[in-house]
Amino acid sequence: MANRIITLCYRKVIDSTATKPWDKLVFEDSYNEFKMQAQLYNQGKKYRTFAELLQNEPNAEKLHYLVSAAVIGYLQQLNEIIPDILNNLGKHFLKFEKFQFEIINSDLQDKTKHQVAFNFYTPPLVWHDTIQNYLLVSEKETGAGEILTNLFQLQAYLNIHSIHSEV
Amino acid sequence: MERKHFLKSLLLGAFTTPVLLSACNNDADTVSPSEDTSGTGTVTNPGSSSSSCTVAPTETEGPFPTKAPASYVRSDITDGRTGYKMTAKLTIGNTNNSCAGLANAIVDIWHCDADGNYSEYGGSGMQSTNLQSVHFLRGRQVTDANGLVTFTSIFPGWYSGRATHIHVHIYNASGKSLKVTQIAFPEGTGSALSLVNGYNKGMSGYTYNSRDNVFSDDSAGVQIATVTGNTTDEFDLAIKLNVAA
Repeated sequence: MANRIITLCYRKVIDSTATKPWDKLVFEDSYNEFKMQAQLYNQGKKYRTFAELLQNEPNAEKLHYLVSAAVIGYLQQLNEIIPDILNNLGKHFLKFEKFQFEIINSDLQDKTKHQVAFNFYTPPLVWHDTIQNYLLVSEKETGAGEILTNLFQLQAYLNIHSIHSEV
Repeated sequence: MERKHFLKSLLLGAFTTPVLLSACNNDADTVSPSEDTSGTGTVTNPGSSSSSCTVAPTETEGPFPTKAPASYVRSDITDGRTGYKMTAKLTIGNTNNSCAGLANAIVDIWHCDADGNYSEYGGSGMQSTNLQSVHFLRGRQVTDANGLVTFTSIFPGWYSGRATHIHVHIYNASGKSLKVTQIAFPEGTGSALSLVNGYNKGMSGYTYNSRDNVFSDDSAGVQIATVTGNTTDEFDLAIKLNVAA
């Protein structure tokens, strides 16, 4: 039987309601960097929100990337472990190989409108089975014989990003 | 060419006067937004702590996050990009203070690599977790008491339609934009530009300063840096940029 190989994407949204220390640091520093970098595309100081900048200055799309420099240090502190998502033992188990940082909304005069997200992408996983609303997965690179698996629940902001079959 | 002659021609070719760049953003107030950003359809309640019936985290807490500066904050911005080493010394002066050095100004620079490419997102926008070189050839420094910042980088390459240049964004200590500008390079025989000769590309199709859409109006050459040095050791770029602070 063919193995189903999947990658997962967890989208971690961070906004002004953040309470955890890591989330709050990301929120503060990404907002400050946004205010600095946005000035590049707002020389006339005509725009106030990220949406307005995007609509009127096509190059403002680069702000996702430019602001990401403010959060690189925090990503490194994660040691390539995806936060928040737990297996059924209550442990973090997903690694990430790739990420994408995005600004969802922001406002140069209203910090509470600032909202960003990390999209974390896992390496390939083998999807063995589905038990109620739990998925049973294992890391792809395992030898013959017994395979260690993780059971985790389907939940909001967690998506199967890609799938392919492998004989 | 004789070294002495080369150095002399560099000095002659690269004579610059201090730049006078004054801010002129006198536009009145900002336009108030006509709509709420929350109208873009994004979720306002991130779901990691939703009411789903999952187990709570049961792990030792940590690692504890620590405050981390933006990855721009460094003096050496090379990040493994190959090219002729270049040290760039930018002095920021304050036109409201007889162009004396402006301390504690934040200075961002960025430029392209030897092939003419900038660090930025590719097609999918995904970055690998090898985060070391995501923002290559981009850097941020804060000026010292004399208004000086120093970056270690490589001599920039070029791309179609533009003369070789370095982007500069100068902020005051609290992050308010004071000036966005670009630095041009001296041209002609014996200049660093002709010695580097466009790296692997050569100079065929190069846009010289006089035809560049940013520098062509700079007939006085105030945006042109002084560039000394050689291809064996390094090039040294120096320029003074004055802003109203």
